Amino acid sequence: MIDLAQPIINGLLLGGLYAVIALGLSTIFGIVRVVNLAHGDMVILGSYLSLAFCMWLGLNPLWTILLVAPIMFCVGFLIQSVLFNRVLGKGMEPPLLMAFGISIIVQNFLLLVFTSDARALKSDLSMMTISLGEINISLLYLLNFLIGLAVILGLRQFFRKTFLGRAIRAASDDVVAAKLVGANTSSIYAYAMGIAALTAAVAGVLVGMTFIFYPHTGPQYLIIAFGVVIIGGLGSIKGTLVGGFILAMAQLLGAHFFGPGYQLLCGYMVLLIVLAIRPNGIFGKA
Amino acid sequence: MKDVICRSRLVWMGVLTAALGTVPLWGSDYLVLFFFLFCLYLTVAQMWNLLAGYSGLISLGQQVFLGIGGYSVAVMGNYYGLNVLLSILAGGFFSVLLALFMSLFIFRMKGVYFSIGTWIFAEILMIWFSNWSFVKYGTGLFIKTNPPLSTNETFYIAFVLGVGSVALVYFIMRSRLGLGLMAMRDNEDVSETMGVQVFRYKLYCFLIAAFITGMAAGVFYIFQVFVQPYKAFSIDWTVKLVFIVIIGGIGTIEGPIVGALILVFLSQVLADYFSVSLLILGAIAIAVILLAPKGIMGTLQAKLGFEILSPRRK
Repeated sequence: MIDLAQPIINGLLLGGLYAVIALGLSTIFGIVRVVNLAHGDMVILGSYLSLAFCMWLGLNPLWTILLVAPIMFCVGFLIQSVLFNRVLGKGMEPPLLMAFGISIIVQNFLLLVFTSDARALKSDLSMMTISLGEINISLLYLLNFLIGLAVILGLRQFFRKTFLGRAIRAASDDVVAAKLVGANTSSIYAYAMGIAALTAAVAGVLVGMTFIFYPHTGPQYLIIAFGVVIIGGLGSIKGTLVGGFILAMAQLLGAHFFGPGYQLLCGYMVLLIVLAIRPNGIFGKA
Repeated sequence: MKDVICRSRLVWMGVLTAALGTVPLWGSDYLVLFFFLFCLYLTVAQMWNLLAGYSGLISLGQQVFLGIGGYSVAVMGNYYGLNVLLSILAGGFFSVLLALFMSLFIFRMKGVYFSIGTWIFAEILMIWFSNWSFVKYGTGLFIKTNPPLSTNETFYIAFVLGVGSVALVYFIMRSRLGLGLMAMRDNEDVSETMGVQVFRYKLYCFLIAAFITGMAAGVFYIFQVFVQPYKAFSIDWTVKLVFIVIIGGIGTIEGPIVGALILVFLSQVLADYFSVSLLILGAIAIAVILLAPKGIMGTLQAKLGFEILSPRRK
């Protein structure tokens, strides 16, 4: 029993991180109805921005969140207002392919600037653990989990309490009605993408502190985000959190039973099973 | 007058096809290589076009069949000494089997979920093959064909596939299946009420595309001599297909031809600047989506009524 406790605890903590990674993808799908295939690359762009600040200013990676997040907000805002808004309402393909194009550009831009070397955001945290009997809890994982939870709860409150949040929700519920009462949906969408990019920035810094990354790592996190969002259902914040837990747990238990080579495979298997049984996710609307 | 235009177009098409088929007789080695890649990209992109442009199935997992095709040729040739043409066919055959299995899961999904489902299958196969001792894990396999093929011979196979894929899509679109597909694309619910068997037609397209893609992959990896899971099952394949079809014009038969020509040309010209070449490709794709969402051929058709291979009946 005790050796199962370790992967379960780690899975729970990692699930928090996975949920933040997926949050932006889920938000944008729920509001703009666009599947942002460049989301993983936005996460990694956040990691590299943090790396640049670490090297330039000698900051602790954790503090760079405060610099990276606003920059990414602007990036997201611009991408939406200059690119995505112009292809909305033209069917499913154009936004999908637009995102594909952005993804390629971001990856190769990073490759050009930072070369293909493996990078990591180093901090003292990565080595520290808390011991509870025979279970070791990595401080970094705990931090990921707590920050993740804070971002998710913060976003939930933002959508419920603030004027902009409510406007965004209105646009997501009924575009025509939102326009009728005078909401500027284009600018609402731009803000929404900015917020999604902001969560991607937080995710990027955490990911960079926890794992190594390359310019081409983006799609890997996109797939994790997809997994989370699909299990939980696109566009549901609660579902995102549950999806994160399930996916991370499936991966770590899979690695525990079948060996580390099968970690990712087990995650995908659970995903396919969920999809085959409930094609719209656990919390998704039918 | 119309007949004359029609006939002159046919003549031109015949001349161009003949010129393409005889490249090894008149062209340099470089040209053979160029048109070899062109034929293969055309084949695979035309199949993606059949799915995305005509059946509404946006698959992001075509690399599944590219990997299976490549590995079939490697395994059949190296381990069993099977004749090379039969190995290529086997690649198509295994792809169809896999597509049938995949359809159990992904045909329950709609729209975006379908796209993601296909991609996840590709990722699963990538991990599977990199953990499978039979195919030497992630290091990959060298491909020894039986008998060994010359560059020209591989070119002819690619040529047959390229021309065949165009002809195939043309005939599909003029058949009952094609009519059903176009009705589905315009309005799925109404066409189903009118008796179009939506599920079955989509499945047919998916299987046909898997078969042809699997064979084309075999030929490609014979040329590459080496197949490795992280390359063969990589999303990069689909990125290229998407660019070809979008730039050329989605849902047109000529689109993939133009798109494949542009992609191969650009990747040859920019080969020395690898990372910049993809950057430029990405920028071009975004520009095309913004300025001419129907792609080059789609825009020409809409503006000038210019069609070389029209699926319409007179």
